[in-house]
Amino acid sequence: MESTDRFVPVRDGTTIMAVVYDGGVMLGADSRTTEGSLVYNRVSDKIEPIHKRIFCLRSGNSSHTQKIAQLCRLYVSQLGSELEQAPPVYSAAKIIQSFIYNYKSFLSAAMICAGWDPVKGPQIYTVPLGGTLVREKIATGGSGSAYMSGFVDTHFKEGMTRKECRDFMIQSISLAMFRDSSSGGIIRLVDITKDGVSREYISHDQLPLKQPLSLIH
Amino acid sequence: QMCIRDRYQRRVHGDQGFVIKMAGSGYDYDVSTLSPEGKIYQVEYAMKATENSSTILGMVCKDGVLLGTEKLIVSEMMVSGSDRRVYSVTKQIGMVITGLLPDGRCLIDRAKEESASFQKQYGIPITGKVLADRIAQFMHMNTIYLWARPYGCNIIIAAFDEFGGPTLHLIDPSGQCFGYFGCAAGKGRQIARNEIEKLGAKNLTCKEAAFNMAKILHKCHEEMKEKKFELEMSWICPETGMTHQMLPKDMQKEMEIRAQETLEKEAMADVQSQIMKNINICLLYTSD
Repeated sequence: MESTDRFVPVRDGTTIMAVVYDGGVMLGADSRTTEGSLVYNRVSDKIEPIHKRIFCLRSGNSSHTQKIAQLCRLYVSQLGSELEQAPPVYSAAKIIQSFIYNYKSFLSAAMICAGWDPVKGPQIYTVPLGGTLVREKIATGGSGSAYMSGFVDTHFKEGMTRKECRDFMIQSISLAMFRDSSSGGIIRLVDITKDGVSREYISHDQLPLKQPLSLIH
Repeated sequence: QMCIRDRYQRRVHGDQGFVIKMAGSGYDYDVSTLSPEGKIYQVEYAMKATENSSTILGMVCKDGVLLGTEKLIVSEMMVSGSDRRVYSVTKQIGMVITGLLPDGRCLIDRAKEESASFQKQYGIPITGKVLADRIAQFMHMNTIYLWARPYGCNIIIAAFDEFGGPTLHLIDPSGQCFGYFGCAAGKGRQIARNEIEKLGAKNLTCKEAAFNMAKILHKCHEEMKEKKFELEMSWICPETGMTHQMLPKDMQKEMEIRAQETLEKEAMADVQSQIMKNINICLLYTSD
């Protein structure tokens, strides 16, 4: 059999998540980037800044999503300088959608665009593989999202406080990282409000779920 | 000390080259030439094309924007409404043109294209300020290159959007674009500007200000009273759901009749006060 796996794309296997809470929106992601079965980067940053109060989460082929995020950043900055105001999050999402939809046969990218703008407040828009654009109060993505969907559906409620939202997200993402082989590392969190943006990460020893002990005594 | 142009003129035309010296005298042949005084004559000539044309004006009111123009009826045989000056560029943006009308209509098409491409790329309707800037840049582009001529029209763009509220922008053939609370262009612009300033439209609602706009347009037309004319007015206000619409026909007719009556009354009052003054002067002399 000929080996056709000379080139294995670098993928963000990923668990990504964004939640709107009372006062802002919080984005969370794991930090594992794989190239086949090699963990290429165990502390990667999947949360890309697009504008002062707009960020996007990347999942899928790393090079594709990085390029889309770069182009989105370019167009949104042009829009911001034409409007002379904070650009709407919807426009950033529309730009991401136009790339993913128009080039869907070449790309393998699914992204979540989230942020705050003065007109509509905190918003989240998902753009999955086919290129639809959906506005949501909570969005999950990546291979790990399947493993946490039960937990998310049960425990999500609208209008959480910042602390409730943070705990909810840390718990969900650790559950996904626990079971998905393409997700792992640390949890990165970004919190976007009217007053500013703050970043943090939760390292392995602070995760709520630890490795189970061996069952063989 | 002669500049290059003058030396060329002397060489080619001899001393006769200096006998007839018109305004531009050699610096006005194309728009890519600056004169020694630092003017671009072609752009100034383009502005002259708008100075003697129909008056256009716009006002920002408490709750919206108004646009209006007066146009001469060129022929009795023309279908009324076919000579249009006020156009909707998007649902919430309107434009009015004066000067060379075919140039103006080309700019309106351009504005529609810009709005459509902005909406396609960014997903939000274009704002008044962004559209005005883009049209102004486009008009200015035609004042730099040798193979183009400036657009000979003034345009007023009225818009309402959630970023800037109600906005009004006036663009002239040189590509200058400023935001206004009230602006006018065309033949009656001086009268119109004075009247708009006196009016203080910022404190009136669109409905109240529309009557005043009809009055101002009739006033601007007074010098050419013999020639028939009609008005074209439009607004963006709560009555239209903040979309750009032409004024309803019956409302416009009623306002025009009221405006004419008011102007006649004011004219009568002027004449009466003149007569009273004269009578008083006569009494003064006869009482001796």
